[in-house]
Amino acid sequence: MSPETASRRGLLKLGVGVLGCGLAAIPAVPAIGYVVHPLGRERAAGDFLAVGERKQFGSTPVRVDLHADRTDAWSRERDVKLGSCWVVEREGQLQAFSSACPHLGCAVDFDPAEVKFKCPCHRSAFGVGGDVEAGPSPRPLDTLELQEEGGLVAIRFQRFRQGVPAKEPV
Amino acid sequence: MARLGDWIEARTGLKTAIGHALDEDVAGGARLRYVFGSVLTFLFMQQVVLGILLAFYYSPSAASAWASTAYLNDQVTAGWFLRGLHHHGSSAMVVVVILHLLQVVWAGAYRAPREVNWWTGLAMGGLVLAFALTGYLLPWDQKGYWATQVATGIMGSVPGGEPMQQVLQGGPEYGNLTITRFYALHVFVLPISLTLLLVGHLALFRKHGVTPPVELSEAELRRKTQPFWPNQLFLDVLAMTACAAVLVALTYQTHGAELYAPADPASNFVARPEWYFLFLYQLLKYFEGPLQIIATVLLPGAVAVMLFALPWIDRAKSRRPRDRVVALSLVAVLMAGVTALTGLAMAEDASNESYQHGLEVAEKEAARARRLALEGVPAAGGVAVFDNDPKEKTRKLFKEHCATCHTIEGHGGAEAPSFDDYGSRAWLTGLIRNPRDPKFYGGTKAHTTMEPLPVETASDAELAAVVEYVLGLGGAEVAGTLDAGLVAQGKALWDGKLECSGCHEIEAGKSGTGPTLLGRGSAAWIARVINDSSQPDLYGDTAEMPKFAGKLSPAEIESLAQFIGSQRAASAATP
Repeated sequence: MSPETASRRGLLKLGVGVLGCGLAAIPAVPAIGYVVHPLGRERAAGDFLAVGERKQFGSTPVRVDLHADRTDAWSRERDVKLGSCWVVEREGQLQAFSSACPHLGCAVDFDPAEVKFKCPCHRSAFGVGGDVEAGPSPRPLDTLELQEEGGLVAIRFQRFRQGVPAKEPV
Repeated sequence: MARLGDWIEARTGLKTAIGHALDEDVAGGARLRYVFGSVLTFLFMQQVVLGILLAFYYSPSAASAWASTAYLNDQVTAGWFLRGLHHHGSSAMVVVVILHLLQVVWAGAYRAPREVNWWTGLAMGGLVLAFALTGYLLPWDQKGYWATQVATGIMGSVPGGEPMQQVLQGGPEYGNLTITRFYALHVFVLPISLTLLLVGHLALFRKHGVTPPVELSEAELRRKTQPFWPNQLFLDVLAMTACAAVLVALTYQTHGAELYAPADPASNFVARPEWYFLFLYQLLKYFEGPLQIIATVLLPGAVAVMLFALPWIDRAKSRRPRDRVVALSLVAVLMAGVTALTGLAMAEDASNESYQHGLEVAEKEAARARRLALEGVPAAGGVAVFDNDPKEKTRKLFKEHCATCHTIEGHGGAEAPSFDDYGSRAWLTGLIRNPRDPKFYGGTKAHTTMEPLPVETASDAELAAVVEYVLGLGGAEVAGTLDAGLVAQGKALWDGKLECSGCHEIEAGKSGTGPTLLGRGSAAWIARVINDSSQPDLYGDTAEMPKFAGKLSPAEIESLAQFIGSQRAASAATP
């Protein structure tokens, strides 16, 4: 092979490489924004959702489901279950805890015998006030905003980042 | 870097393997005429990548297919571009398949010893069409739904085809099972089949090599030989780039693929197949009744057999085109026929007014559906998207509570006045001329007091003035559209010659024999009638309509009143 042919072939190889990368970029570049969608879109804070009457709740925690309309990607659903929370009266005040364990998100249950919230997955346990009493949970149970009006109780449903000491909404 | 390369080579032999794949002599040298197969391979790979990306958002069920496609197309970043590229990519594949086939036929590459290569190629061409057919339905929009109905309908009309049709669509009707089947075929069965055939096709191609121009002698072929890598591959990649550039430009220009309104089994959509099936669609027009099978099975089947048997039909001693007149003519006639039929189909549609009108309606409907889908599609999916339209809710309300007696938009009962064109000059004119016309109070029992007003009593011009005056009583909602001169003229006739004021008051709080007409036709006035039409200043004792106050919420009554009142605007907008 002559040096001239060799350099010409080198050029062709370069051309194949450059054009090939360009071809790959046509779907690949838009695919980045496409695949990470809907990251970075602001989510509106949820409304307060009615969960029941004030007199239903006392010093023993009660689990309530939270229902609301929801837009899930393309579909708009009416009155679906978003999740649940525990409502308990402490020193005359009602408090609501998200039922999601701050460790890794399993749903905590209330054990009336031991008067503790217990996570069924990794043995985290919480007092009635939400404080960590045992297990790997990095923070107390997450409180949810609660409103009382005219004898009715409403709660704003939210989820928080799991596995970190700070309570950050997601 | 070099050391990493050596490490990988020592463990995997990757470099050697790639070397083997690329190391091939192209007898007679690299040529542009060999690029089509590579371009098809590229297009197929791009379709696979794009298809996988679409599957990130597409959801195959009757309730979610359209909604997820609309979401993907209109809300996901760059979704319209990737979907558009996939859509136009299928057209590009069909075009390049045809070019590849023509090049192979011209070169005589279907001849011994390359028959199996030819057959695998034909099979792949068929698969490309099957891809197009199955993919067309997946968005579950009007176009895909109705065009595919035709295709499966044809299948069912063939002797013995009905069980096949039912298996394919999962029962006698389209539904969830149709989508899941088409989806499985489109994303698993067809791609895997095509890949296997492609591997065989390429292996056979490597075994037999290119089919160089017949003029070149053995010696010339040897002398001009070039390596596949990089000489031929460069030309291939160049052609792929040209093809990709056209695709990207087309995608931008059309702003992606069309998406019509969600599939509605109750509608009458102007269904057309994708352009590359138009010739079959056109062919169908010429064969009716028992002859239909000629267009649906016999002719296409004969063409398939002819292509398959081409290596045997061609008995020529050499590959020279002038020795292969029979084979070349057959393919030329086939291509000419397909082109002519396609052209005819397009020309007929272009001059078909009802089709063009249907298309316009369909596009408006599509835009409306997609705008409403931005709020999220109700869980029932598909056409439920129209429930997002407040007007649609009101329409439903009207249908439930009013349509037994009143007609609107052409549907409803005739026991009470029709609201088609309600509040237009024509409606009022008709009413005053003959109140007992079935369109007005003819269907009611008690509304018999008002006398018809014949031309002898009031000329058309006089009546027009009165109508203008009555319209003007409607208030602010109509103020801008009035002719002030006519109104003044009408007022004079009202009080004087025609004595309308004898029965109809025009001041708030007063009541006459007929309804007080202050505000007549305005949403507020209509709402009062809906609430309780027996109020003394409305229809009083003669009222037959049920009271809706308490039955419907104030907001519902308000929206109904708006809806009925807007029939004026609707009729004014379309003169």
